[in-house]
Amino acid sequence: MEPEVLDADILLPPVLPFKRVQMSDKYPKGANRGRQWKHLKHILQAENYQNYPPDEPNYVNIEAPPSIYPAKKFCDITGFETHYTDPKTKLRYVNTDVFKRIRYLPNDYVQRYLSIRNAAVVLK
Amino acid sequence: MELSTVALGESVSIIGDLDPGLMKYFDYTRAPLRSPFDSNVVYQFETMEYILDYAFERIGVEGPKVDHPILITECVCNPVHSRSKMAELLFETYGIPSVAYGVDAAFSYKHNQKLGICDNDGLVVCSGFTTSHVIPILHGEPVFEASCRTNIGGYHVTDYMKQLLSLQYPYHVSSFAWEKVEHLKMEHCYIALDYASESQLFQKGAKETDEKVRYWQLPYRPPPVEEEPSEEELARKAAIKEKQGQRLREMAAAKRSSRITEFENELQGLEFLLQQLENVEDHEIPFFLSETGYVSKQEIESAVARVTQSLRKAKGEPVEVEEKTESPSSEKYPLINIPDHMLTPEQLKQKKRQIFIKTTSEGKLRAKQKKQEEELERERQNQQDEEKRLENPELYLEQLRAKQRELAQRVEQRKKLKTNGTRGNGTPVLSGNVGRGERLNAAQKERMRLLTTAAFDRGKGEDTFGIKDEDWQLYKLMSRDNDDNDEGPNEDEAELARVTAKLQEIDPTFVTLVEPSPPATGNGSETPHFRPLTAEDYRITLGIERFRCPEILFQPHIVGIDQAGLDEMVGISMRRLKPELLSHGENLCNSVLLTGGNCLFPGINERILTGIQKIRPFGSSIRVCRASDPLLDAWHGASMIAASPSFSEQVFSRQDYMEKGEEWLRKYQIRYTI
Repeated sequence: MEPEVLDADILLPPVLPFKRVQMSDKYPKGANRGRQWKHLKHILQAENYQNYPPDEPNYVNIEAPPSIYPAKKFCDITGFETHYTDPKTKLRYVNTDVFKRIRYLPNDYVQRYLSIRNAAVVLK
Repeated sequence: MELSTVALGESVSIIGDLDPGLMKYFDYTRAPLRSPFDSNVVYQFETMEYILDYAFERIGVEGPKVDHPILITECVCNPVHSRSKMAELLFETYGIPSVAYGVDAAFSYKHNQKLGICDNDGLVVCSGFTTSHVIPILHGEPVFEASCRTNIGGYHVTDYMKQLLSLQYPYHVSSFAWEKVEHLKMEHCYIALDYASESQLFQKGAKETDEKVRYWQLPYRPPPVEEEPSEEELARKAAIKEKQGQRLREMAAAKRSSRITEFENELQGLEFLLQQLENVEDHEIPFFLSETGYVSKQEIESAVARVTQSLRKAKGEPVEVEEKTESPSSEKYPLINIPDHMLTPEQLKQKKRQIFIKTTSEGKLRAKQKKQEEELERERQNQQDEEKRLENPELYLEQLRAKQRELAQRVEQRKKLKTNGTRGNGTPVLSGNVGRGERLNAAQKERMRLLTTAAFDRGKGEDTFGIKDEDWQLYKLMSRDNDDNDEGPNEDEAELARVTAKLQEIDPTFVTLVEPSPPATGNGSETPHFRPLTAEDYRITLGIERFRCPEILFQPHIVGIDQAGLDEMVGISMRRLKPELLSHGENLCNSVLLTGGNCLFPGINERILTGIQKIRPFGSSIRVCRASDPLLDAWHGASMIAASPSFSEQVFSRQDYMEKGEEWLRKYQIRYTI
């Protein structure tokens, strides 16, 4: 270790006195880390919220519903409000210059613009 | 909660803000930033443990276990799995006596209530990193049944900005690192009071937009411009060149003169030798000559002739080649005219050789003549062209341009046909296999025909292909690299090149047509440039992006998330309140508190205010205020509650954890009033 790093004292000692089980014993090196942890989706599934009365607030209950106001359409490239959509690429544009630019875009840019809006074609 | 980084390899864990000066010692290219959170729920407890280790160690905990009760913040309606795993971690590994959980937004509200910013009843709008919540507070306690959560937070704003900038400035993608974009967002983004009208301003190009646009200039070094060398420079360079030329000439002259003297010496020596030979007897010649290295008199004579010739060359006199070519043709072919049966076998051989030499030399002569004729022909044509040009420059130019266009088209077409024929759908085509649907040109049709008929369709039963040698000539005919295929286009291409060169000479406005370069509007173009990048291209413009990115907090459908925005959530939350409680909640909107890091955007106060005004009846009192310290107020509030004497009744201890189990944990709720 370089002396600067040692001086800065940013590293923890490998053995900490207040811990009952040290990190190195709990998670031995080389073992498959991270696979064991359940992601949020699985946690929520395992919770079985349907067995409980729906009045009680739980993680899924309090989620906001979709907006009641109709969505405004904005141009994908400039951000102005528009109602025009290119039928070929499904991108939204606001005037002819932007339309020209859209048509010159290579396909992966088109897909990236669409994926910002969650409208890209996902092939699985 | 802070983020932690873990660099693999030496299993070093680094937590918190990185000091860039020290970071260069670690190779963290492989290890990305790790966080124990998935959305706002802790799911990865290994990373959580690292963070807690760091926290306890820095605080200075000693002793065999951490002997303090802990109050830890969690998300709203934390899943029981996360709670229990956290409790397990704290109790088992750290030996903590008791734990309490609380919601950070509520803590923040309590702290601000104490400060007098908000009342006992109100709403807290908390906008975090990955989520945003709206929680009504009644009698000092949060009502979670009526709370509301949207999965939009600072992370999404930064991500949106990063993607927008990367797509608009594809050349500078490497400058848009996550941390940099976050920094930009914090410094320059604001929330517009009304998105539609602000964007109208920009669309019309009104003058107010000039102040609103921020420019970020990336470091740009212009390529070194070659200046026109001044007069003195030119003169100096010319003088140097001349001197060098002179030096070279002198050297050449010196060399030549030395060679001349050398040849003269050699000539003298040889002549002296000849003279000596004449004095010597015949039979003593070999003995005499063995010392000098020459075998016979003829050799010496031929050597003399050679040296004289090279001497003449060195002196710069024209060499008499033509004489030589004439004489050998008459000398060397004496045997040709004599008919065969009069010659001996040796002479026959010699005759064959002479015939061969004669035909080749004649062929060479003929080729030379042809070349000369062609040159003459070209000269004549050029002269004709020049005359035409001088007569009528306009018409000539037009004709030339038309010709060039036609040739270019033809060449391209041929190229396309060729590539279409060889690679119809992008896959390499084996010889003979032509994909379905490809347009077959004549050569390919021919090839197919040859393959199917000549090779495979011979006679019934037996395949006799290959027995005769001529059969294999088939492949020659089929070969793609056949010269016949390429001769045509080569001519066209050569012609095209000539015409283009001519045009470029004569016509100052002629530019070879490349693919049409797309128009560049606004902030640079995304397709390949045909002009060199200037300083302008290195300037990132943050105009409408400044308020377009935080707008997703209020209109999440911009990024495709189908949920309500912040202002609408207030309405939803109030509607979710049970009606009997609502009577109390008439004045909920009187104290709306904004907390969370995301509420630091300038302009958010007014925006939420107008948003609530749209929902509430006309004339109701609405007051929106920001927390005194949106980032750390949760901690302040929590510390306030933890320091109170009633805290010890709130916690659940290890006993409870051992005995009571999950069901109880699910119901656990802290009381926020002191």
